[in-house]
Amino acid sequence: MATEQDSSYAQGFGQVSRTAGLIFRYLLLAATMFGIVTLAVLLVYVANDAIQPLTADAGWHLTFFLTLVLPTILVGGALYRRNREALKLGGMVVGALLVSLMFSGGVAIVFIDIIPPLTGFSYAVGLVVAVAGTVLLTKYERQIPFTARVAATGLLFFLSLFGVPGYFHSIPELVQKAPVVPTDWIILTLVLGGVTALVVGQYIARVREDNKAGLAAGASALVLTALGAIVGPLVGIDANALVVVTAVSFVPTAAYAGGSVITREELKPGLVFAATVIVGALVGAVAVDALGFAGPQAWTDWQFLTSSHSGSAENAGLYPAIGGSILLMVTVAALSFPLGVGAAVYLEEYAPDNRFTRFIDVNISNLAGVPSVVYGLLGLGVFVTYLGQATGTVLIGGATLALLILPIVIISSREAIRSVPNDMRQASYGMGATRWQTVRNVVLPEAFPGILTGTILALGRAIGETAPLIMIGAPNVLFNLPTELSSKVSAMPLQVYAWSSLFASEDFYTKAVPAGVVVLLAVLLAMNSIAIVLRNKYESET
Amino acid sequence: MTRKTDDILSRRKFLIASGAAGLTGLAGCTENNSNSESEPTEASGGSGGSEDSGSGSGSGESATLSGDINIAGSSTVFPLATAMGERFKKEHSEVNINLQSTGSGGGFANYFCPGQTDFNNASRPIKGEEEQQCADNDVTPVELKVATDALTVIVNNDNDFIGEGLTVEQLKTIFSAEGKPTMWSDVNSEWPEEEIEIFGPTDASGTYDYFIEAIIGEEGPGHRQDYSATEQDRTIIQGVMGSEFAIGYMGFAYYSENTDAVQAVAVDNGDGYVEPSLDTALSGDYTPLSRPLFTYPAKGSLAKDHVAEFARYWMENSTSKKIVADEVGYVPLGEDEQQEMLDKLNSAIEEAN
Repeated sequence: MATEQDSSYAQGFGQVSRTAGLIFRYLLLAATMFGIVTLAVLLVYVANDAIQPLTADAGWHLTFFLTLVLPTILVGGALYRRNREALKLGGMVVGALLVSLMFSGGVAIVFIDIIPPLTGFSYAVGLVVAVAGTVLLTKYERQIPFTARVAATGLLFFLSLFGVPGYFHSIPELVQKAPVVPTDWIILTLVLGGVTALVVGQYIARVREDNKAGLAAGASALVLTALGAIVGPLVGIDANALVVVTAVSFVPTAAYAGGSVITREELKPGLVFAATVIVGALVGAVAVDALGFAGPQAWTDWQFLTSSHSGSAENAGLYPAIGGSILLMVTVAALSFPLGVGAAVYLEEYAPDNRFTRFIDVNISNLAGVPSVVYGLLGLGVFVTYLGQATGTVLIGGATLALLILPIVIISSREAIRSVPNDMRQASYGMGATRWQTVRNVVLPEAFPGILTGTILALGRAIGETAPLIMIGAPNVLFNLPTELSSKVSAMPLQVYAWSSLFASEDFYTKAVPAGVVVLLAVLLAMNSIAIVLRNKYESET
Repeated sequence: MTRKTDDILSRRKFLIASGAAGLTGLAGCTENNSNSESEPTEASGGSGGSEDSGSGSGSGESATLSGDINIAGSSTVFPLATAMGERFKKEHSEVNINLQSTGSGGGFANYFCPGQTDFNNASRPIKGEEEQQCADNDVTPVELKVATDALTVIVNNDNDFIGEGLTVEQLKTIFSAEGKPTMWSDVNSEWPEEEIEIFGPTDASGTYDYFIEAIIGEEGPGHRQDYSATEQDRTIIQGVMGSEFAIGYMGFAYYSENTDAVQAVAVDNGDGYVEPSLDTALSGDYTPLSRPLFTYPAKGSLAKDHVAEFARYWMENSTSKKIVADEVGYVPLGEDEQQEMLDKLNSAIEEAN
């Protein structure tokens, strides 16, 4: 209508039609929507297959609607009108709880099933001793020459962790051979709870600007973790598992919520929102149990997450593949992070602008686009055929995937380093700092969130890769978690692929495959959400 | 400043730790009896082979079996090996069984003969050149028959023009590299003038090799190569499902999981049309496409207790109708055959040790 009017006005001046512009605009909209809607339909379809929400009793839906959905909408709506910041905090707390719960599952797999707690403990003790020694050495920073100090630190770590066979026992060895050792839950409380307590303590000390408060917070974090072990068996949950969940999920979430409220009083109502959601979910769960309403017959259930492959789709599970993916990601991160960040720092801060660096520049961008199957071939050729390693192990899989994401890590790290304002570097130089001091104290801390975000997104790509794993001969089916770098490994996407292709029955296709896809996507979303939160947080801070 | 907090906190941590340990007293601590178990996990650097051998023979018989068993090879035998592995794993939780589907030939050439795997599944006997490759790497395969399969030719459910079934001659015409008919009417003038869409396993597959041997003939022109080749049997089924004028072939087990999706073709070898089924394969009526399936353990690997035990377990259950026929869809071994295989296996194990 507007066009008509406009054109009648403009008649005396000749006519410019807006139709083409309008059509173009809506075509663009259609193009945008097409991909998103198609993907959304697919995801809903898969999720419906995996979770089957319609198989639940009507009472089940009603109960959760009354206890969870309705209060959430009411409280959320009220907050939305009055205090949006608080609502945001509430959402973050709930999100943090969900994501950290997933991570605590991963940590539990690693620290209970993959690494026996005693082994982990022995290495933790070894590390603590070495770190303590290093801290002591730094106190005499001025008396001891630099090279001697580095050598001494290196020697300290080496002796403490590995020892000298035959002459000098390493600390892990001594701990493992000790006649009396703490039980598993105490070990987990000390190691995981200790790390959490340190982080929480520092965080609270920083926001309260009070070291004593930090200490108290750290101590109570540790006590809470230990409480988990004592309470767990009483309510029928394994003590070790509850310790891990408390240390990795509950305590940090609580600390985050508490810390945010301390710094900004006015956000307190946000906690009400978080409490509504959490309590609503719990009350709903207890209520449906008490009232006897059956939940949906989801294929993505506890049994699916905790059992290994089976000949029948109903009993098949993803557990070894989940553990495999976690170990692969740890290996990939350990390999690609230092290499990628190192390369990025060199290229951005040190490299002269000549033909050689421009050549490297172009090639890194090209490498980022090389298909993953080519990296698989590279892994097969270099690691298996040339170096003679066994096929399909954690180390080879991790190394191949690390090569795959290395260019991406380099590019995103360079991006982050480049975004550090040049003024800051100049200021640092102006104060007499050397280039190394500038990089270490100014550039890296400033660029770190960006680097971390890029790395997490790159890991998200690696966790979904299938082709390189097939190329290096990772097994299609295995029944145990990989426990060492040299054990065979499967991964979530590979397991889903094996189910969809090797097990031709309709059962696997409609049950195990969607369930696997949902788990894979949930993990991916959790990883990406961390990256996004990190990015937003640091973007708003600077 | 942060370092300072660290310091205090870790000291505090130790205080609390010792306090907690004191509170729980002896209840919180256990006698360290895990030395023997945790040691091998620790000591394991790169060589997985050396630690495997020791752990089994140390104490007791079957309870302490541990180590890796790597299996590759035929996609036809893969479901059977998986079913056996799943059951074996329930009894010996410390044994890691890793299964891969690579095709019989792919498994021999890339995994088994280079010494990467302990077992290679095959849907045809090992070839001379493969034996040579194995011998060059000091790998001695031990041939064990595990089941009988009815290699199944499938067509689309809507296909009614082929009538009762196909003769061996017609199959040969369709699949051989000689002639390569593009239209169904080229095979039989009464059939529609539509393009034949052919799906089948790749040349890494034992199913492919066996099909050549049984239908086209070893000395013949060979298998035509202008077809959709895949190592994933599901893709073959989907391909045939998708087109009325498609044809393909695969192991019976995959067909038996998808009897609604596609129809099996009865094959006439001169004595009338015979449907592929467990019964006709067992009775020997389904010729020439019923075939033996094998697994080849490496003799060197049989020296390891957990590998030998798994091979024995497989052979002992090879007559099980429940696993082999009902769950997987192949014909189990007879008692005599089983005894023969067990004897062969046991003497190989003895030689290996």
